[in-house]
Amino acid sequence: MQIYKKISLLLCAVLFISGCTPTNEVNIYTSRHYDVDEILYAEFTKKTGIKVNIISGSGGALMERLKSEGSNSPGDVFFTVDAGNLANFQKGGYLQSIQSQSIKNLVPKELRGENDEWVAIAKRARVIFYNPDTVSQEEVMNISYEDLASPNWNKRIVIRSSSNMYNQSLVSSLISNLGEKNTEAWAKAFVSNLARTPQGNDRSQLMAVANGLADVAIANTYYIGIMLSGKGGAEQKEAASKLKIAFPNQDNRGTHVNISGGGVLKHSPNRENAEKFLEFLLSKEAQQHIVNNTFEYSVLDSIEPHPIIAGFGTFKMDKTSVADFGKYNPAAVKLMDRAGWK
Amino acid sequence: MKKLFKLNPWEIFAALIAAIFAIPILLIFISLLAGFNENFIHIYNVVLYEYSVNSLYLVLGVSVLVIIIGVISAWLVTNYEFFGKKIFTWALILPLAIPPYILAYVFTEIFEYSGPANSILRSLNLVSEDYVLPNIRSLTGAILVFSFTLYPYVYLITRVALMNVVKPMLDASRILGLTKIQTFIKVILPIIRPAILAGAALVVMETLSDFGAVQHFAIPTFTTGIFRTWLGMYDLITAMQLASILLIVVCVVLYFERYQRSKQKFAAAGVKSEPLSIIKLNGWKNLLATLFCFIPVFIGFIMPVIELIRWAIAIDNNFSNNFISASFNTLFLAVLAALITSVIGLVLNFNARIENKKSSEEINNFVAMGYAVPGLILAIGITQFLTYIDFILFNTGIIITGSLLGLIFAYVIKSYALSNNVIQSSYKQFSIDLDDSAKTLGSTKRNILLNIHVPLLKTGLITSFLLVVSEVVKELPATLILRPFNFDTLAVNVYLLASEERMYEAAFPALFIIFIGLIPIYFLSKMIDHSRIVNE
Repeated sequence: MQIYKKISLLLCAVLFISGCTPTNEVNIYTSRHYDVDEILYAEFTKKTGIKVNIISGSGGALMERLKSEGSNSPGDVFFTVDAGNLANFQKGGYLQSIQSQSIKNLVPKELRGENDEWVAIAKRARVIFYNPDTVSQEEVMNISYEDLASPNWNKRIVIRSSSNMYNQSLVSSLISNLGEKNTEAWAKAFVSNLARTPQGNDRSQLMAVANGLADVAIANTYYIGIMLSGKGGAEQKEAASKLKIAFPNQDNRGTHVNISGGGVLKHSPNRENAEKFLEFLLSKEAQQHIVNNTFEYSVLDSIEPHPIIAGFGTFKMDKTSVADFGKYNPAAVKLMDRAGWK
Repeated sequence: MKKLFKLNPWEIFAALIAAIFAIPILLIFISLLAGFNENFIHIYNVVLYEYSVNSLYLVLGVSVLVIIIGVISAWLVTNYEFFGKKIFTWALILPLAIPPYILAYVFTEIFEYSGPANSILRSLNLVSEDYVLPNIRSLTGAILVFSFTLYPYVYLITRVALMNVVKPMLDASRILGLTKIQTFIKVILPIIRPAILAGAALVVMETLSDFGAVQHFAIPTFTTGIFRTWLGMYDLITAMQLASILLIVVCVVLYFERYQRSKQKFAAAGVKSEPLSIIKLNGWKNLLATLFCFIPVFIGFIMPVIELIRWAIAIDNNFSNNFISASFNTLFLAVLAALITSVIGLVLNFNARIENKKSSEEINNFVAMGYAVPGLILAIGITQFLTYIDFILFNTGIIITGSLLGLIFAYVIKSYALSNNVIQSSYKQFSIDLDDSAKTLGSTKRNILLNIHVPLLKTGLITSFLLVVSEVVKELPATLILRPFNFDTLAVNVYLLASEERMYEAAFPALFIIFIGLIPIYFLSKMIDHSRIVNE
């Protein structure tokens, strides 16, 4: 029996120690999971000697863990996709203002939190993809999201489920600009124009348009980059080559843009390192790296998108405050429920 | 009076363990105290009906299918000799290695407009050029996905029970003039019914807690609703309230099932254990039996593996070293968690049996509820509990949260039902008289447990271990939120890629999960076979 006790004590000790960590480091809680991010983290360590520790998971769950950990949390940086997530987290008071002047100089105001609690690292636009064989140039000329509610698009549109955060923040931005009542009327008409019940992911929508199941799809820009690059297999590459992009709302507020971004956690034990880390992500080389590998847009004007994405042309970006996405997100979800958007 | 205060170490130990593991589940129920807010009222008025109806159809459809597949295939391989039977005996368990959400992705790819199924039909000129197979991203599709990945629970537990059906029972029924079908319904079915229900209960709980597959198919179920409320309306309390309601419904159903079960007690152990003789099938019966066993193995295992291999080959996959460490982590955690869970399952069930107290059994069943909670919600209950313990024990540091200890704690709660259901149903198969005789002969409890129960429960314990291993290998939500820094498992690897819609790249680690899951499945099914031979 003695020996069992010793073994179990030892086991406990090992399991405990695995939770402890050394000193010059920065602890990142992230819901972005690109390979390129890991390459960037390694680059950061090489440059600064600061070790990067990662927990990646779904944004909502990480936020709950951080909340539970409270002032004892080892977390320094929270890094996530979707502005709504960031804004909501900030509202709970879990982030502190970023001090770095260089970050404030680099990134435009609308891509930072109200008091610099967070900063955007990359942008993605939610655009209209269409099949030029079935959609005429006139139909998509100066098109807006609002136009997709018109009877012209009856049974021609595909989009994924309303449980998806990109759709939720798109509808939040519509609420912010059109008001809740108008947005609900829009959503009802839009849903009746769908070619099929919402299902699958963004890529499935592009595949559906390429295969003629629908004429237009709403999806994020970078997916077509991944598909055209061949990273999704030959079949997807071929399908994607049939598609074109229309940037909505170019003659008024601009195309809906969402962000990936990060902030310094309120109880960050390594706050200097946390800021250094964010500064690094906003450096030209890091931005170039992100753009080239994830097909997102840079937050720096000086960095061009990946050639595949650049080929679709430039566009005017909607400057609706991203904080509004978080504010209207709950209303957007309920509105989509009422509109029957599955 | 004196007796009342006599401390019983077994009972204290069992109660303590049960209490610790029950707290995270209780934390979810506490949400009900908060009162219902406007979000809840919105859900109640607008979508709750649809969520409930869809979940109900899903659960009913899956239950019927898994019982048909699981029971008949178990009956076939236990009592008949037919082509490929030796292979099917263990191959029928293989789909356990496939997480439902992966089968969901595979189904979509195969049945998509440009996928292999439609292409083959078109190229054979069987259908017109623009024909498309019925949409797989539907409720029916989801029922198929869950049925073909989860039926092994019913198969395994039923099979263990069928091994205890002994020849004298059948002889008796034959003497009484019952036909084969009457014998099955009147003699065999009542004996294996607790096992079937135990297996089906596991399937129902897993179906209700799954999020990945229904999310991909975009079917509005109760679970979808829970996540929309939490992540979209930023309302964790209402999400937990919904989860509590789901749990209460599950509780009622399980309670009813257990009540039904408790009306019957079986005592096969008194009879000389002479198993049924195996009947050789010939001609079309042989073919039919083979086909019946082949279909679930094909749909639930062979087809997805072939498709995943196709994906992995389709892109230049740079094999990452990460997979090696992730595989090691996965295996290590799974084995450790399975050992601990099975030991706890044994001890708690032993205590419930030996004390013969209703309360012990109820606590036991409550802990098993963890299986029906959507993984992420349970993980949050566990996080709150662990951070609180950290706060009490260490005051200024987070030690247990984000350690392997915390992870294993989560796995035990999540998979306790697997262990509990299997061990409980094994216990139901031998008479309590045995314990009484042992007690009369002066055996200590420890002796009864180690020298009588453990050998009798061997098959059940092995099955419990096996099920927990395959569950932990696939486990995702708790791992994601509770793991230490820079720590990956294979399921995490798959998730990270899949969440970026990089399914082709995810195929590689997914195949690794399946491969790792196969090792215990293969060896342990051999052991079940072996234990049968020894019995014979």
